[in-house]
Amino acid sequence: MDKKTLARFRFLFILVALSLVLLTTRVAYLQIANYDHYVTRSERNRVTKLPVHAPRGEIYDRNDQLLVTNQPGFVLSLMDMGGGYDSDTIAFLAEKLELEEEEIREKIRRYRFTRYMPVQLKEDISEETMAEIYESRWKLQGISIEPQPIREYKFGVSGAHLFGYLGLDEPRESINEEWTEQGYEYRTGERVGQARGLEEVWEPYLRGEDGEQLVETNYLGQPQNYLDREEPVPGKDLYLTLDTGLQEVATSSLKEMVDEIQEEEDNEEHIKGAVVVLDPNTGAIMAMHNYPSYDPNTVSEDIDELKQDPRQPFNNTAISGTYPIGSTFKMITGIAALEEGEITDQTSFNCQGVLDAANTTKSCHSVHGSTSIYRGIAESCNIFFYQAGLRAGIDAIAHYSREFGLGVYPGLEDIRGETRGTVASREEMEKRGRQWHKAETMDAAIGQTLHDYSPMQMAQYVSMIANGGVHYRPYLVDRVYDYQGETVKEVEPEILREADVSSETLDIIREGMKQTVGPGGTANYAFRNVEEEVAAKTGTAEPSGDSSSHGLFVAYGPYEDPDLAVAVLVEHGSAGATSAAPVAADIMEYYFDSPEGD
Amino acid sequence: MIDKRQIRNFDFTLLLVSVLLAVYGLIVIYSSTHFLEDPFHYVRRQGMWLLFGLGGIFVIILFHYVNFYYWAKYFYALVVLMLILVLFIGRGAQEATEALRWIDLGFVDIQPSEYAKPVLVLMLAKFFSDREKQMESFFDLVPAFIYTGILLGLIFMQPDLGTSLVFAAILLGILYMAGVKLQHLGLVIGVGLACIPVLWYLLEGYQRMRLIVFLNPELDPMGAGYQLMQSIIAVGSGGQWGQGLLEGTQAQGGFLPEQHTDFIFSVLGEEMGFAGVVVLIILFFVLVYRILWIGAQAKDKFGAYICSGVAVMLIFQVIVNIGMTVGVMPVTGLPLPFMSYGGNALFANFLSIGLVLNVSMRRHKIQF
Repeated sequence: MDKKTLARFRFLFILVALSLVLLTTRVAYLQIANYDHYVTRSERNRVTKLPVHAPRGEIYDRNDQLLVTNQPGFVLSLMDMGGGYDSDTIAFLAEKLELEEEEIREKIRRYRFTRYMPVQLKEDISEETMAEIYESRWKLQGISIEPQPIREYKFGVSGAHLFGYLGLDEPRESINEEWTEQGYEYRTGERVGQARGLEEVWEPYLRGEDGEQLVETNYLGQPQNYLDREEPVPGKDLYLTLDTGLQEVATSSLKEMVDEIQEEEDNEEHIKGAVVVLDPNTGAIMAMHNYPSYDPNTVSEDIDELKQDPRQPFNNTAISGTYPIGSTFKMITGIAALEEGEITDQTSFNCQGVLDAANTTKSCHSVHGSTSIYRGIAESCNIFFYQAGLRAGIDAIAHYSREFGLGVYPGLEDIRGETRGTVASREEMEKRGRQWHKAETMDAAIGQTLHDYSPMQMAQYVSMIANGGVHYRPYLVDRVYDYQGETVKEVEPEILREADVSSETLDIIREGMKQTVGPGGTANYAFRNVEEEVAAKTGTAEPSGDSSSHGLFVAYGPYEDPDLAVAVLVEHGSAGATSAAPVAADIMEYYFDSPEGD
Repeated sequence: MIDKRQIRNFDFTLLLVSVLLAVYGLIVIYSSTHFLEDPFHYVRRQGMWLLFGLGGIFVIILFHYVNFYYWAKYFYALVVLMLILVLFIGRGAQEATEALRWIDLGFVDIQPSEYAKPVLVLMLAKFFSDREKQMESFFDLVPAFIYTGILLGLIFMQPDLGTSLVFAAILLGILYMAGVKLQHLGLVIGVGLACIPVLWYLLEGYQRMRLIVFLNPELDPMGAGYQLMQSIIAVGSGGQWGQGLLEGTQAQGGFLPEQHTDFIFSVLGEEMGFAGVVVLIILFFVLVYRILWIGAQAKDKFGAYICSGVAVMLIFQVIVNIGMTVGVMPVTGLPLPFMSYGGNALFANFLSIGLVLNVSMRRHKIQF
């Protein structure tokens, strides 16, 4: 070969050697110099941290009966692996999950800014459906299936407002933010307690700490190997003061009553009701129900329909609705007049059916003749309390209202939404730009005008009459245990305040209330089947406007040694004796007749 | 047809190195595909082509390589015919690209573009050995441009950008070896560069995207830059000794695209580490060194040009392929010679080695 050609071969050879050296240098740069960097990236590529869900705490009643628990369920998410979403997968899932394809695409669009994050398509998927999907997983792209238990509320609508429900945090972002600020970590799509019930308020206890499973995945995010695992810590269990038997009776009795009134001919009112049952010696809530209610098990499906209901099933009327309480207020007027020394139990007023006083004419629903405070309460004589009210004066009435927790927050913290109501008073009237008129004192004396209280406050107030004037904080959660059975929290009854009232006065009031269920008393008929000696007061309140009266009722028992206080409201239920009293009677009859009732 | 002296001149090193490379390839192909339904599907097929390749070498060395000087134009015509056919009756791979590359013969798929490479080497070697002292005018080179242009154009139409560039490289290599004037060589390169903007408009969308992400792979890490990033991560995480065969998480987890073909080097880098890479580079170095050495020893220019053409053909693919997997060359879809899965490429490479071995065996004038 000639020299020139050999030289060219040499040059070619040098070129080849040089290129190979440069390539090797580049590889060394990646593999030796930047090894750590790429190993980390490779690791991040393949190792995914999957949360291991901590089971949420369960909820039991005072007799350890299970109220709220978890059932096995799954949540299915879809992830864009870089090639967009696979339309066959979407079509398949739409069919299996009973969703519209468009619905799925809409969700994907909504979460488009969180690309490469799973988009949650459906939760509460049953084991059967999941098994069907799992069988076809080989042809599905970018799906991820995670176990997420289905929350089960054993008693459905009964006491729904006590529990609330779990939901994605869209409607009220504040909930999640609040807990996040307190250091709880939430995954996207994780459900949080909602609707102001125990699920929301006790979220930090009920919610466990999620564990973590490190999983080796392939490029489709499908798990290949399971690596380290950090076990989850289950949520804590709540043991309530609730008595399920009582709760069930309250639920069914209230429903029957409300439905019956609703179905009466030409009734255009929206009838609803609320019941609160307290232990007057502790403030423990033994039963509480609103009707209509909602079913927390199916609330996510029913929500649109429920929101259409004019009776507003989501409102926890029992603690947040306020009503003029009519004659159930009369004990306060009696207490005020007695305590102020304006009357004694010997004082009688003559009821002629009408009364001319303070430049106005007032009437009674009957002619009671000479009436003492006992008959005044028992037969709910308006004339007696007009006179007693005029003697005591509005300031004393307002004062003793507050002494008995009316116009004061009951102090319920286990669930949210309690109201303190409104006391009829000079100040309140002035706030509304009017002077108090003396004639209005008569209306205030029988629970009308500005008086506005919740059923919880009624129950609270009748409890104080029963227990000698002690305002206990109402509570629902009695004990909290962790998953190992260790006590996390034990609640002692808490006295918020004691009313400044003499026992003589209370005895007189109690006697009147006892006679209410006795012969001639307004609740005598309703309580014909209750054998225990109890004390009660009916009320029929006139709402402002033309709508029909609210039926109200308060009671406690046993008379001598009370351990049950009941308040019932039937909105637009007309007379309390016929609408609210029978519900309270059902509850008391059950409580005092059932063998486990103490 | 083969005498003792020819056997003595037979370059066993070159044969051994090319077989070693192919076996090395089989191992990595196995690692890239063993998790499939039939773990040996690709290995078996590639192994079969390796045996065909050895058979091909045997057939080629039976004939004096001078015969190929006469046969070159027939081979060329056959390849052009097949390349035209492939545009009409060809089929693409099952995967994303719709490029038409194969002719289905029923029992085997033929990929004409792979055979076009050594055929161009032969054609140009013949052309330049004919015109050894007649290259004063640039126009004397025109036929070489036409030979190359026809093949390059037909393959570019499939479209297969990477492979068509190999033809340009072969042309440049042999032009240089044939001693064309440097200003002519410069002119060819200049015209080539001037064509780039025109080329840009002829490129398909995905090809353009590949070139863009080559300049900035983080631009679209889940889209077109994905392959490149995953490949670089795989190589980088291999470290000195690699994660072990069948142990590379990038490869085994399927993060690497086309890992048994174009991106086989990424698998090797991840699983065998820098040590495995150095072994591979040394094998390629020895391979090309032997080919060039044989070229320098060849008894005539035809033989020398064959060797330099084959060397350029192979080393160009090695550099472009490895360069693309480590992010210093754009992703153009060229296989790694002897290593990547692909029977036609392996077979054609062995045939090329056969030509070089042929030149080596007959490097001294045969005594009659």
